Amino acid sequence: MKRMLFRAAALAGALATLLPPTLHAQTTFHKYVALGDSLTAGVEGGCLVTRHQQRSYPKLVADALGITDFQQPLFSERAVSGPAGVCLGAVVAGGTITVGAVSQQGVPTNATLARPYDNLGIPGANAADLVDLRVANPSGNTANRFAAAVLRNFPSGPFEGRNAVEEANLLSPDLVSVWVGPNDVLGAALAGAAIDGVTLTPAAAFETKFSQVLTGLSASGRTLVVLNVPEVTSIAFTTTIPRVVVNPATRQPVLVGGNPVPLLGPRTTDTCSTPPCPLPAGTLVTLGASALLAQGIGIPTALGGTGQPLPDGSFTPPATLNQGVLLYPDEVALIRLRTTEINSRIATVAAANGATVIDAHALFDDIVAHGYEAGGGIVITTSFLTGGLFSADGFHASNIGYAIVAKEIVQRLNETSGTDFNLPDLAHTLFEPDVPVITATGVVDPTSGPFGFSLPMWKDLVSTAVAGDLDFVFPSPGKRAKGFFDR
Amino acid sequence: MIRRRLWYPRTFFALALLFLTAAPAFPAGFSIFAQGAKASGMGLAFTAIADDPSAIFYNPAGLGFQKHFSVQAGGSLLSKTEGEFEGANPFPGTGFGVEEQRKTSFLLPTLYAVVPLTSNVNFGLGINAPYGLGFRWDNAEEFSGRFIAQNAVIRSTDLNPVLSVQVAPSFAFAVGADYRLSSVMLERNRPAINPFTQSVVDVAHIKLDSELQDNHGWGWNAGILWKPMNAFSLGASYRSKIEVDYEGTGKFTQRPTGNPAFDAAVAAQLPQGKEDVAVSIEFPASANIGAAINLPADFTVSVEADWTEWSSFDELFIDFVNPALPDLDRFTAWDDSWAYRGGLQKKFGSLAVRAGYYFDESPQPLADVGPILADADRNAYTFGIGYDTDRWGVDISDIYIKFKHRDTRGQVNTDQFFGRYSEAANLIAMSFRLSF
Repeated sequence: MKRMLFRAAALAGALATLLPPTLHAQTTFHKYVALGDSLTAGVEGGCLVTRHQQRSYPKLVADALGITDFQQPLFSERAVSGPAGVCLGAVVAGGTITVGAVSQQGVPTNATLARPYDNLGIPGANAADLVDLRVANPSGNTANRFAAAVLRNFPSGPFEGRNAVEEANLLSPDLVSVWVGPNDVLGAALAGAAIDGVTLTPAAAFETKFSQVLTGLSASGRTLVVLNVPEVTSIAFTTTIPRVVVNPATRQPVLVGGNPVPLLGPRTTDTCSTPPCPLPAGTLVTLGASALLAQGIGIPTALGGTGQPLPDGSFTPPATLNQGVLLYPDEVALIRLRTTEINSRIATVAAANGATVIDAHALFDDIVAHGYEAGGGIVITTSFLTGGLFSADGFHASNIGYAIVAKEIVQRLNETSGTDFNLPDLAHTLFEPDVPVITATGVVDPTSGPFGFSLPMWKDLVSTAVAGDLDFVFPSPGKRAKGFFDR
Repeated sequence: MIRRRLWYPRTFFALALLFLTAAPAFPAGFSIFAQGAKASGMGLAFTAIADDPSAIFYNPAGLGFQKHFSVQAGGSLLSKTEGEFEGANPFPGTGFGVEEQRKTSFLLPTLYAVVPLTSNVNFGLGINAPYGLGFRWDNAEEFSGRFIAQNAVIRSTDLNPVLSVQVAPSFAFAVGADYRLSSVMLERNRPAINPFTQSVVDVAHIKLDSELQDNHGWGWNAGILWKPMNAFSLGASYRSKIEVDYEGTGKFTQRPTGNPAFDAAVAAQLPQGKEDVAVSIEFPASANIGAAINLPADFTVSVEADWTEWSSFDELFIDFVNPALPDLDRFTAWDDSWAYRGGLQKKFGSLAVRAGYYFDESPQPLADVGPILADADRNAYTFGIGYDTDRWGVDISDIYIKFKHRDTRGQVNTDQFFGRYSEAANLIAMSFRLSF
C-alpha cells in the first residue's frame, strides 16, 4: 500500500512538471504599491481630498485584488475659506451652470502611518521627480509640496533622503504600477506654451529618468504594470472652448456671412500681418480663456468684443513662464510628437524591465472618438462637466474616469498574470453622487464667466498642476513616528 | 366602393385586436410555435401529422386529408414562472442583487377554419400570432438595465388563408398567403451625467411605440404531406420571411432630477412632443420537416426538425426621422437555429393521451443577450389529452419550458451588461373543434 502511494506521488510529481505554465501563474497579490502623479494620487477638480482618494484608481485596484491594508496620504475636506487648494465643482452662477469652488483641501489625516503609503502618487511629479526628489521642500513647487506629504521625506521627516522608488521597495510589493509622464507634457497644454525643456521634457531626458524608475522597481517575482501618456491635447481643458466666437446665450457659433468668426490671437498668419489676428484652424483654446472671453478679450470689436488678442503662453529666460490660453497648431503638433516619443520610450524601457504596458493613450483616443461604454447603455465621454470622464478642472479624471482606469488595470492583470480577479463595480461609481462631504455651503466665485472658469480660478487651477501653492499642514517634523524603520 | 375599402380593414383590425398578443419569448427567438393544443401535447412535432385545422399553421397540406367543414378555436395561456437576472461586475455589479422580470401571463388565441371546396380542394383560414415578444422588467425605474430596455414588446397577428389540394390519395400540397400585422414597443430611460454630482441620473423616459394598423407585411407559406403507407407519413412545410417596416413615434418624458438648473438644461435639449420613428424587422423564414408512424396498439410517434432563418435578424435599427436625434443601431447578428421535437400519442378509442419533448436552440449569440431580450437554449416537456369524434373534439395540453442559464459574465457583450439570466415558463393550451 505504501509503495502504491509512493508510486502515485511520484507519478503526480512527474505530471506536475508537464503541466502548462499557466497553472503555476500567480493567483493573488499580497502587496500593491502605485507610483505616479496627481492621476495616481486621485486629484479631482484641482484638489486632493479623502472623498476622491478613496476612489483613486490604485485604491479601486487594491479593493479588486482583495488587499485590505492599502494606505494613502489622506486629506480631509473643508468649507472654502481661501483661494488655494480649492475643489472645483459645478455650481450655478447667474442662472447658468458653471464651475466654482465647492470645498477645499483640509489637513492630512493619515500622517502618522509608520510605514510608507501604498499610494505614492505625487501631484505635480514628473518622471525625474520619482527618482530625484529625495528631500522634499515643503515650500517648493507642487511636486515638492506634495512629496512632503506623500513621501514624508522633508528635512528631518520620517523618510528623509528616500525617493518614491525606494519607499515603494521598502514595502516589498509583489505588484507595482507606474503612471508617470503626463506631467512631462501636460504643463505645455495647461500653460498654453509648448516649449522644449520648459513645459515639455525632452524624450531622452525622460527615458533616462523613467529607466531609473523601472530599473529601481524591477525585482524577481514582482509584477510591474506601466501606463503610458494620454493625448493631453484632447482633454476637456483644451477641447471645450471652440476657436470661434460663440453666442453665450445659445452656445452656438456666431455666423457672419454664413461663416463662423475666429477668435483673435497674438500671432500673425498668412492672411493677417498685423496682430491681433484670427486664430488659424487647428488652434486650441484652453478653459483658461473663459474669463477673458467673458470680458470680450479675443472677440472682434465688430461682434462687441474688445478686439484684444487672447494671450499665448511664452517663456522668458531664465525662469519666467508666461501663462497663455492658446495652443497654436505647431504647439499642438509638438506636444503630440513629444507624447508619441515618450510613449515609445515607455514601451522600450518597460520591455527591458519586463513590465506590462497599459496603453492609456490608445484607450483615451478611443474614448475621445467613441465614448466609453461603461455598461447598461451608459456612455462616458470627454465632454466638460457632462461627459463623466473628466472632473471639474477639465484635465484630472472624475471618480468615473479613475474607475475606468482601475477596471482596465485589473482586466489586464487577469489577462497577463492568469489571475481571475473580480473587476471593479463600475455601477457603484457611476451612480454614487460625488459631492463634498462637508456640510458648509461652497462659495461661488461671483466673477465666473459663461464658460465656467474665472481668471483667478483658472490661475488657481493651473497653479495646482504646474507651480502651485497648495496649503496643507504637515505633521510636526519633530514627532517622528516610530515604527517601520525602527524595528 | 369607398365604403367597401374601409369596411375590410376596420373589421379585420377589430378582429385582429382580439388576437393581438405580446407573448413572453418562449420558443426560440421571438417565434411562438405553440399554435394548437394537440400539437402542444406532442412536443410540437406536428408537421407530419397535421390532422386537425391547426394544420393551417403547422403544415397546410394536412388540410388536403380533412374532408369536413371545421372550425377550431383555442388559446394558450403562457406564463413566465421564473425570470431572474443576477448582475456581475463591472456592470451592473453585484449591488443591484437579483432583479426580476414581470411574471405576467398572456393569452394567445387561435382560430382556424377549414372549408372543403371540392372533394380534393380545401380552403383554410387561420388567425393566430406566431411571433411575439414581451420582455418586461419589474421595478422599471430602478432596474439596472433600464437605459437599454425596461419593456420590449413585439405584437403580431397573422391572417393566413391557404388552399390545399389532395392530388393523390396519399399526397397533398398547399400554399397560402400570410398577412401579418405587427407593432413594436420599446421603453427605456435616458441617462446623463449630472454635472453637480458627477454621477449618472435618469433624465428622461423614452417610449417608442407603433400602432398595429399602421404596420404590416406579406409573406406566404406552403406544405406537402405524403402518406406512402397507411401507417407512415412524411411532411414538410415552409413559411417565408416577412419584413415589416414600422412607422411609429418616440415620446420623451422628462424625469426631474431635483436640481432646477440641470433640469432646465435637460428640458432645453429634450425633444418636445412626439418624434417620428421608423423601425424595420425581418421576421425569419422557417422550414419544418417531420415523420410520423402509427404503431400497433394505437401508438403514434412523431419526430421533426425545424429550421428558422434567424440570420435575417441581423440588426435592430431604430431610425429617428429627426436628424438631430441619434438613431439606435444595434448589431444583433443572430444565427439560424434548429429545434428538434418528438411526440407520442396513445389512443384509447376517442380518448388520446400525448407526451412530448423538444430541444429548441437559441438563435441569439451571447454578445446580443441583454435587457431587451435574453434568449436561451431550452428543453421543453409536454403532456396532453384529447377527445375526438367526427363532429367535435377537445384538446388540452401543457408545456413546461426550462431555459438554460444565459451567462454573460466575462464575455463580449453589446450592452456591456454582465450577469446571469435564469428563466422558466409554462404554457397551457386548449382547443375546441366543431366539424360539419
